[in-house]
Amino acid sequence: MANFVTSRRARLASALLVTAVAGTAFLASAPVRAEYDGVPRTFLWNPGLNDLVDTSKFKKKPPYKIGFSNASQGDLWLVTFMHGVQFQIGNNKDKISKFIMTDANGDATKQVSDIQDLLNQDIDLLLVNPATADALDPIVGRAMRKGIPVVSAARRVKTDDNFVSFVTASDTALARMSAQWMVEKLGGKGNIVLLPGLAGASPAELRLSAAKEVFAQAPGIKILDTQYTGWSPANGKKIMSAIIQRYGKDIQGVWADSGLQGSGSVEAFLGAGFKSNEIPPHTGGDLNRMYQLAQEHKFPFIGIDYTPSMGIAAVDVALSVLEGKPVPKRVDVNFQIVLPKGQDTKSVKADVALEDYVRMDAPGDLIMGHGMGQTYDPKTFKADLPR
Amino acid sequence: MIGRISPQALVVPLLLLIALTVGAVVNERFLTLGNLRNFTEQLAALGFVSLGQAFVILGGGIDLSIGAIASLAAVLLAGLHGGNEALFIPSLLLVLAGGAAVGAMNGWLTVWLRVHPLIVTLGMASVLSGITLLYAPQPRGSVPFWFEGFAFDSLAGVPLSGLLLGALFLITALVLTRTPFGRRVYAVGGNAEAARLSGLSVKPTIITTYALSGFFAALAGAYYVSRTGVGDPHAGDALTLASLTPVIVGGILLGGGRGGLGGVFLGVLLISLLNNLLNYMNLSTFVQWWCKGW
Repeated sequence: MANFVTSRRARLASALLVTAVAGTAFLASAPVRAEYDGVPRTFLWNPGLNDLVDTSKFKKKPPYKIGFSNASQGDLWLVTFMHGVQFQIGNNKDKISKFIMTDANGDATKQVSDIQDLLNQDIDLLLVNPATADALDPIVGRAMRKGIPVVSAARRVKTDDNFVSFVTASDTALARMSAQWMVEKLGGKGNIVLLPGLAGASPAELRLSAAKEVFAQAPGIKILDTQYTGWSPANGKKIMSAIIQRYGKDIQGVWADSGLQGSGSVEAFLGAGFKSNEIPPHTGGDLNRMYQLAQEHKFPFIGIDYTPSMGIAAVDVALSVLEGKPVPKRVDVNFQIVLPKGQDTKSVKADVALEDYVRMDAPGDLIMGHGMGQTYDPKTFKADLPR
Repeated sequence: MIGRISPQALVVPLLLLIALTVGAVVNERFLTLGNLRNFTEQLAALGFVSLGQAFVILGGGIDLSIGAIASLAAVLLAGLHGGNEALFIPSLLLVLAGGAAVGAMNGWLTVWLRVHPLIVTLGMASVLSGITLLYAPQPRGSVPFWFEGFAFDSLAGVPLSGLLLGALFLITALVLTRTPFGRRVYAVGGNAEAARLSGLSVKPTIITTYALSGFFAALAGAYYVSRTGVGDPHAGDALTLASLTPVIVGGILLGGGRGGLGGVFLGVLLISLLNNLLNYMNLSTFVQWWCKGW
């Protein structure tokens, strides 16, 4: 790592440029509406400095052979993320001669074998979405020591030296933003329920910790209950139905770290006979159904996606590495704050209005923030991959 | 030499040959020394647990706690020494002995309670999974760097794990075919009542087969730790069912008493080769699942 990282201050300007490329180049290549097309704000607002990695030792002439070791296609978010990788590989067919993808089906030990098989096929770069940060660390480290650069996407491996760059989105920023909105929406006072994602999964735990950090600073906010939902709409509905039975109209806000379970929560309120104007403020993005419910029932709402377009950005970073361009050690792709008109608070303002963002014409199970354009449909998506 | 190969197992070499031919045609990197090394490393864990399962099934039982023992062994091995390298070897020995002890407990409960081993070992799996997750809800611990050599180092070009697996197959096949214990396993698995009436010690034989299975499950857990450098509470999850496939494909009857380790070895090769081959074919994941089902 120390060998790769150049003087941080001297490289700050190019870091900005590269992050812009990594985070937003795909926006130019895909027709999307009403989306922010600058550099990710988490980059600009990051109070620390961003390490920049010198990749000149990995520079190669195209065409490239890229291996992608995927952890799983176990839920719709992961499928959309994988489509993003394939989409951007297809957009760069002129530079990529072969793309080999493996899927570990959530099994870290199988993923170790998958990576061995990829390395034996003389890949020029390994793109990896590790099933767990620890278990994949040794094999990914071996790839790096063999001179194969590794780009970690969505999740990272444990040791900094074992990858060139990590492409993700900020769980903490996402959670802080939605939690702060909730506090201000309630005027700093009220009873709320927390619906985190999957117990033990790092994004869920990070978001929950960041949200609690915000709520702890608002003494008027009382947390009635915290229930993990596994990011499942069905679980979200089941769990919230039970909580409604217990607390009824005492629930003044629901903080969900994603609309996956957030939509289930809204359905639970509707199922319990709440009128549209009685549904308490909700948080949570990702799932189009959540945006559709907010648009239809007009309850106070903030949506922030954990953008699966990080798959697209990861391919851009991978190509930069192979072209020998410096890349940031960590790339946070941008997310947008989606609010219905008039729902801004003093700290949290809309990047895009709900009315402009929601896809009333698309299926409810569409994952938003995919970056593949208006025509993207996960059911019919077919990658145009190099053969 | 390596046991009684049942007629069904003769199909397996043919399938192996087909898999090797397909691999050689679709990808020029498939039949290389590098892949042979990878492949040998990849089959070790499955090989260990299949050996244990083979003993239990030959003895007329079944062990559904293999994955849970492997997971518990993994988290304990990575966690017990607490970063003190001097304590690592004692931890390893303790974990392997513990695996054998848990296996013996399975066997003892089976013969003592006279409950079907399916229920006993499934119950044991549930208890062990609970303990594993209480101790390590998430991957924890670490191993000394040298221990990764068990998974990734070679001797004269042959992976250490492959050498160990080969040696274990040979030794256990000899035990099974050339020792009184081996003959008792076949006799008990074939007809326990007849074996008892013949004066054979049925209960200790059954308990020993489960103890062996527990030992090999713990060894597989240790192998996973060497491959991943961490104790993953879910490391062994897939191993229980996976351990049954090579045993059945290898021609050992589920009722016990018939079959040999030669078939199991070929079964391990075939199942592992299939995973490896599908990666080299770069097929869609869903097509891969379909192929494995077949």
